[in-house]
Amino acid sequence: MNATTLLLTATGTLGLAIFGLLAGLWFMGIDRVLAARMQARIGPPIRQPFIDMAKLMVKQNVVPANAIPWLFNGAPLLALASAITILLYIPMAALPGLPVLNLHGDLVLIMYLLLIPGLAMVAGGLSSGSPYATIGAQREMVTMIAYELPLASTIIAFAWKLAQLDVATPFSLASVAATPIWTLVGPVGFMGLLLLLATMILVAPGELGRIPFDAPEAETEIAGGLLVEYSGRNLALFSLSLAVKTIVVTALIVGLFFPWNFTDIVAITCCPFLAAGANILFFLLKLFVVLFFSVTLIRISVARFRITQVVDVYWKVLGALSIVGLILVMVDARI
Amino acid sequence: MDPTQTLATGSGYWSPLLWLLALVVGLAVALVIRSRGRKDFREGEGRAPFISGNKEPEQGGGHIPASNIYWGFLESMKSYYGRLVPVHTGVPTDYVAWLLGIMALMLIIGLAT
Repeated sequence: MNATTLLLTATGTLGLAIFGLLAGLWFMGIDRVLAARMQARIGPPIRQPFIDMAKLMVKQNVVPANAIPWLFNGAPLLALASAITILLYIPMAALPGLPVLNLHGDLVLIMYLLLIPGLAMVAGGLSSGSPYATIGAQREMVTMIAYELPLASTIIAFAWKLAQLDVATPFSLASVAATPIWTLVGPVGFMGLLLLLATMILVAPGELGRIPFDAPEAETEIAGGLLVEYSGRNLALFSLSLAVKTIVVTALIVGLFFPWNFTDIVAITCCPFLAAGANILFFLLKLFVVLFFSVTLIRISVARFRITQVVDVYWKVLGALSIVGLILVMVDARI
Repeated sequence: MDPTQTLATGSGYWSPLLWLLALVVGLAVALVIRSRGRKDFREGEGRAPFISGNKEPEQGGGHIPASNIYWGFLESMKSYYGRLVPVHTGVPTDYVAWLLGIMALMLIIGLAT
């Protein structure tokens, strides 16, 4: 590890933080507009999340009387900072230098880092001193345990396939992105991958706390749960961490299942900047498509699950589906 | 061992120090954003937790015990835990019996294959 690596890590974190925050807020705005249109409403302007953030920043910050102040105020900081760090491990648009920490963190690390923003919300909720927030924190813990099984099964399927092909770093997301898995399997494995894709599409709303897996917040039931006592700049930070996590989760699905770049489909040899620009736009388009199918479409189609149903869906249905998917990928290699 | 090197297990790898550096930069970004917000906070009245107008419970009375933190999970997996929990009797001879039984089963499977 040398000074260049440290400098690249620091500047890369800063650059990706700006990208994650801006892109995340824009995508949240697009999600809200599309959801409104599908419900025959006009909906807010796309920039509404930016307006919400500006509004929250001028609102008073209320710390409940029986809260633990340092934990209550520290949790939103940790949630945002930890969400930003995950961006450093995710390949984006074949841009040189990305992922910033390519050979310094693997898919298993990403899986665990994804838990930290959730744990920060749990810590914040438990420190609020509110019964609603405590119930929300409890539900968030259960939701996190629930989606781990299908997520882990999917990651194991990818790593197993790459290890079988003697790829040097099978747990690297950059290796997965450089080796599109759809081209490596036969019909049986293809069916297995479809099951794994369906699993990941349904893991995303759980990771992001969106309907139907939003039992930890459940506004109509526990008045916002985890976040019921949060206001002002603390609530803004939690909202920003959700925006960054939106990019993280969708980029993870893109990296695993749709790693192709625009220049893989249409060769642009004349100028590198044009190729990079086309790849970035194509990457954002892929994020949008994943977000639409995994968050927007699902959240306007179904109602909220109870917390026991969340566990049923993730462990009994998606857990079984993802393991069948993993087995099909393994069987495919034997045919 | 060099504490700054990337830890590798043969399959997985990560560098804790680089992640910590990224976390520190991330925290700095979060602190800058936080510093742009309104700094004063409500004092005195109006700081009671929101519970829809219900009477505020006694200090600690509204909290869920740690033993219930995984209630939703245990409730959903009731049929599994319902069978598993009674087996954990706390009697050492029961555990030894399970150990011997499983070892015998594995031996039979091992010999059969």
